[in-house]
Amino acid sequence: MQVAAAAAPPWPSLPRGGIAFLFPLSLLALWSISARLGWLPPQILPAPSEVGSALWDLAGTGELASNTAISLLRVVEGFAAGSALGLLLGIAMGLSRTTEDYVKPLFTAFAQVPTLGWIPFLMLLVGIGEPLKILVIAKAAFVPVALNTFAGIRAVPPIYAEVGALFRFNRWQLLHRVVLPAAVPPIFTGLRYGLTHAWNALVAVELLASAEGLGYLLVWGRQMFWLDTMMGAMIVIGIVGFALDRIMAAAEQRLQSWRLA
Amino acid sequence: MARQGELRVEDVSKQFRVNGSELLVLDRVDLSVAPGEFLTIVGASGCGKSTLLRLIAGLDTDFRGGIALDGKRVTEPGLERGLVFQEPRLFPWLTVAQNVALGLLNAGLSKAAKRRAVLDHIALVGLTAFQDAYPHQLSGGMAQRVAIARGLVNRPGVLLLDEPLGALDALTRARLQDELQRIWAAERITMLLVTHDVEEAVYLGDRVVVMAPRPGRIAASFDVARPRPRDRTSAALAAVRSSVMTALEATIAAQVFDTPRGAPRPMAVARDFATAEGRV
Repeated sequence: MQVAAAAAPPWPSLPRGGIAFLFPLSLLALWSISARLGWLPPQILPAPSEVGSALWDLAGTGELASNTAISLLRVVEGFAAGSALGLLLGIAMGLSRTTEDYVKPLFTAFAQVPTLGWIPFLMLLVGIGEPLKILVIAKAAFVPVALNTFAGIRAVPPIYAEVGALFRFNRWQLLHRVVLPAAVPPIFTGLRYGLTHAWNALVAVELLASAEGLGYLLVWGRQMFWLDTMMGAMIVIGIVGFALDRIMAAAEQRLQSWRLA
Repeated sequence: MARQGELRVEDVSKQFRVNGSELLVLDRVDLSVAPGEFLTIVGASGCGKSTLLRLIAGLDTDFRGGIALDGKRVTEPGLERGLVFQEPRLFPWLTVAQNVALGLLNAGLSKAAKRRAVLDHIALVGLTAFQDAYPHQLSGGMAQRVAIARGLVNRPGVLLLDEPLGALDALTRARLQDELQRIWAAERITMLLVTHDVEEAVYLGDRVVVMAPRPGRIAASFDVARPRPRDRTSAALAAVRSSVMTALEATIAAQVFDTPRGAPRPMAVARDFATAEGRV
């Protein structure tokens, strides 16, 4: 008992979840003070309360919900298509050196052109409607998913495959009993990157070519000089992106409960 | 289940290509193991004893000569030959029971029969309480016991053990040796254990084969005609141990002075390797 008492910290410590709020809250405080003391003109940096009430108004009219829903739907569609293709290509290149030899150089060149760089060309190809957004988001998710899946499969220790050979696993058994489970951690890293990239690409493409969505809310707020609306949209974009990443992290942890001691 | 487990290794030679030159690792090895026999192979590192097990397991089929189990030629891995590696090689994402069950994936048994076989073999190695544990929750000795259960779950004719206790501490090692002996007695299975530990080889084997390195070949063979369970401290075992030790030391001493049959000296190979690396 004495040992336990001695091991307890002398002052109450913050729970780990609380620490995460420490920095944002101090930033918010700094922002409030800056707005109150007028360090920056209110046209450039509106007070947090202004942003809050702008968000409240947007929520009240349903604009916030509808724009968020549109953005989320685009990300879900684009991410689903891009990550599915990325998984397929990553697995194909990971399993077969021949496929790698044929496809990898072109893929690398393709990946080197930033997602934004594809937008002008794709605009000419498919116009500025929904297909453009889906294609851009899909491309953003596709590259990190394919790369990490490929690297993950290549990194599976050959000694695992030997166990499979010993028990006469066929190719399919080897793939879904050994290779894919062993590659789950890097594949999930790829999916998380892919989702983050997809969300970033969404905002970019909505800034350039859209009349709805959270990215459009940003442009609109800037054009109308409603900086409170613009900042509100930024905050929502950040929060949604954060939530998406947390969802992926939770899924990852569920799939990998065996890793936790 | 009726299983025989008569293993014949006839005139087996194996070469590796190291840096453009051929390195003979096994030179005309002849070995025959009777059904139900516990044969141990002891040798210095580099004597090809692990390579020999891999050939018998069918993991490497590029060799000259013939290997047959119960008259059936070995050309690929087969469920009638079980292998336990030096490290457990369990899949970390599967529980103990799932790891053992994976060995039965292609055994063609019914679901119920598989489940029973898995539970029986986990019980055989004394890990029933841990069947739902993940590998990271096991000690090294427990993990190796799971690997043994996985090696046995197909009821193979022969179980090949490639220094399975080499990485364990002395106490765990002694306990697992007793365990292996008990399993062998209970299952009446042919076992072929490779080790560098003379005491282990003599304590467990009906027969101890001493291999000499570079190229790997059989140098001597000793019968250990002692009843079981054996007493580690008995004078009879000590006598066999010292004969085996003498034979083993002779293989190492001979190697220092002569390099048989034009095989490259290890230092020369290492040097070639280094210069080749340097050139790249």
